[in-house]
Amino acid sequence: MALRLVMGNEAVAQGALAAGCDFFAGYPITPATEILEEMARLLPPRGGVFLQMEDELGAMAAVIGAAWGGARAMTATSGPGFTLMQEHIGYAAITQTPCVVVDAQRSGPSTGQPTLPSQGDVMQARFGTHGDRPALALTASSVRGAYDRTRLAFTLAERHRLPAVLLLDAVVSHMREPVDLPPPPPPARRTFAALPSGAPRFGPRAPFVPFGVGEPTVVTGLAHGPTGATGGGSGAFTADTLRAVGEALAADPDVAAAVEAYRTEDADLLLVAFGITARAAREAVDRLRREGTRAGLLDLGVLWPFPAAAVAQAAERARAVVVAELNLGQLTLAVEAAVAGRAPVYPLLRADGGLLEPEAISRFAQGAATGEARAAKEAMAGA
Amino acid sequence: MPRLGVDVDCYLKTEALPTVWCPGCGNGTVVQALALALARLGRPPEEVAVVGGIGCSGRTPFYVRTHAMHTTHGRALAFATGLKLARPSLTVVVATGDGDLLAIGTNHFLHAARRNVDLTVLLFNNGIYGMTGGQMAPTTPEGGRTTTSLAGSAERPFDAVELAMAAGATYVARTTTFDMQELPLRIEEAIRHPGFALVEVITQCPTYFGRLNRIGEAPEMLLWERDHTEDLHGAGEGLALPALTTGVFRQERRTEYTEAYRALCAARGGRYGDE
Amino acid sequence: MTSERDAVRIRLTGRGGQGIMLAGAILAEAAMRDERYVTETQEYGPEARLGATKADLVVANRPIAFPDVVRPDLLLCLSRPGYLKYGRGVAPGGLMVVDDRIAVEEDTTAEGAAVVRLPLRRTARELGDEIATNIVGLGALAALSDVVSEQALAAAVAARTKPEFADLNARAVAAGLALGREARRGGRSAAAS
Ligand SMILES: Cc1ncc(C[n+]2csc(CCOP(=O)(O)OP(=O)(O)O)c2C)c(N)n1
Ligand code: SF4
Repeated sequence: MALRLVMGNEAVAQGALAAGCDFFAGYPITPATEILEEMARLLPPRGGVFLQMEDELGAMAAVIGAAWGGARAMTATSGPGFTLMQEHIGYAAITQTPCVVVDAQRSGPSTGQPTLPSQGDVMQARFGTHGDRPALALTASSVRGAYDRTRLAFTLAERHRLPAVLLLDAVVSHMREPVDLPPPPPPARRTFAALPSGAPRFGPRAPFVPFGVGEPTVVTGLAHGPTGATGGGSGAFTADTLRAVGEALAADPDVAAAVEAYRTEDADLLLVAFGITARAAREAVDRLRREGTRAGLLDLGVLWPFPAAAVAQAAERARAVVVAELNLGQLTLAVEAAVAGRAPVYPLLRADGGLLEPEAISRFAQGAATGEARAAKEAMAGA
Repeated sequence: MPRLGVDVDCYLKTEALPTVWCPGCGNGTVVQALALALARLGRPPEEVAVVGGIGCSGRTPFYVRTHAMHTTHGRALAFATGLKLARPSLTVVVATGDGDLLAIGTNHFLHAARRNVDLTVLLFNNGIYGMTGGQMAPTTPEGGRTTTSLAGSAERPFDAVELAMAAGATYVARTTTFDMQELPLRIEEAIRHPGFALVEVITQCPTYFGRLNRIGEAPEMLLWERDHTEDLHGAGEGLALPALTTGVFRQERRTEYTEAYRALCAARGGRYGDE
Repeated sequence: MTSERDAVRIRLTGRGGQGIMLAGAILAEAAMRDERYVTETQEYGPEARLGATKADLVVANRPIAFPDVVRPDLLLCLSRPGYLKYGRGVAPGGLMVVDDRIAVEEDTTAEGAAVVRLPLRRTARELGDEIATNIVGLGALAALSDVVSEQALAAAVAARTKPEFADLNARAVAAGLALGREARRGGRSAAAS
């Protein structure tokens, strides 16, 4: 075992190389900048492209252009840049372009508190673009997780032909932990087989074949038909495609496997969290158990598509469900929908740039378990 | 279509015709000139990509039989930059409008020119926003009438040629859809040029610019183009709207970006580029 | 998994430009070389220089759940702004190592934390460059607390700093360790004076 002390953002870069990423375009922003700097250092010796663009609109556009040039392409940003990328995330969705976007969330809105963590982009990752589209958003709560989920993001982006988002937070991005990461594989240019003449290029099962391989292809952000040409004024093909992609994604076992259950087997108090908040919740579970409460945690490594089945199942025997998140209740909405009345859902929320600490979570959860959530909340407010 | 001496049909998606463009629109002329330039260059269609922005002109990718990407408003150059860097063997042509390139997309324009990426930009300058129905563009001449400047624009327009030169473009030319001999030649030169090349084409939008400025339909607009460009034809005095100069303003060699990037990788032991 | 009881929680604080981020990485690397579990997180102001910064570490014998430090067992403080923003609330029985030029209020010690004031900055300056204050501080912290071994710290400093400063940093570690050892012997862990 060769342990190295690695920062979350460095692990993202390593995970990207492991996935075969050979193109990165970005724009500096705290707390994602180290990903950009790592890629600038790592890609040229591998013959990969690193491009510092003039803004995040351009970065996301370049990533999509590169994907159609046959690259495994990625960008990384934080809230303000993620907002600028939304138009092109929508473009990637409608054009079925595989690519990866990392959003290291920071306290907002607007410039907010650039160096402090937040989990305020949960809904932006789901609904940030106009129009409807399938959304994939993974998360990580450890340095190793950042590496693994970056790889998974590439796998799923290619399997389902969509923009995959990895939501980190300022703490996980800047956290260092000893990890044993394999050295990246040697660079290899991706190869593609040309499609037979007239074969569909778009649609839920059409393979992704970039420019320069086989017959000319048309790509457009307009609603289109299977060849890419605009289809007689009907949006049905595009709408059906996007719906089918969303369904296939939701049924993908690798998506479901991204949910990490911790001591939930016999839990009657269920905590739901992700990212840095899941780390605190994990410690809160241990505290609660020591005090005799059978608590468990779902660390949601995937937020979208929402792992509703896993949450519903774990909520089945729960007396109470506690959602802890660094925003004003974004994930809570999805948890409430999934729990669907099986147990009361108590949100523990914070959105001022500070963290939810283990003790605060365990105290609040204890109150929830004993039906004293309101009292617990008031106690917190007074603390 | 006139006899052109070479086969341009293999570059045109004739089955997609008729175009969405209005009768008399200059966009078709530019597309025909592009096909002629590609045919003269002999570039196989599968080694060419045409990237369009949003606007009437941005629809160009639908009418060429090359790889084609119809992108978002203002960002075609950023898409094209990523595409070119990922696959440097492709010839990449960008079709963009004056609102697309010089309003919402100015930043990408300046930076692509600064990097000197080997891209050919065809700027369809009709002095107005066509697709959205005739609003003021950053190229609308002072005094020019649009639906958002009915009394005549009070703004000073951008000069795309000057901007491109200041930003570092290495090939810069302006011509018109009136100059049907010159237009394909300029496009051919621009594609051949290894570096960032701008061909600004003054083109007619009879539907909005022509009507709102009481110039007339396509034939009158073509004559208007002739009269409102200096140098080649010697523009007259006392014009209602100011004239523009045409010609080749710059044609120089400077290290092209994919070449520079290849050297940067090589210095660190990396092999970049198609093999 | 973790319990917070077997873990040592450490905070390093100073102002931007004093090398707090680097010190955090070095200390984490040393703990890793000692084959312990470690997490290190950082917080800095909007500016790379000035402003208060901190690095939080948890060192434990089991996997660590929550990496942030609420009440440090060990605190190294190199600047007054750092002290004011992050330097309060050392855990009962904890230890605060502070540069002797920094004024420290009585309330830090209210819960029985020991305060050791050492000439960290002066020592670094005498070695040739004030920039090594962070390394001197790490040496002192290690000698006073045994949170990492002396060998691991020296190796981590060598691994995480630029070769051109190897000599300065090696001397800085040694000087810091000596300061810490001496303070420990002399029992100079009296309350702030
Ligand atoms: C982000 C965004 N804003 C606005 C629009 C609406 N829009 C479409 S085309 C266009 C202007 C087109 O004008 P120009 O670039 O001059 O091209 P033309 O249609 O004249 O060829 C605008 C504003 C859009 N599609 N996207
Ligand atoms: S509106 Fe103007 S630019 Fe658009 S197609 Fe019609 S004539 Fe051409």
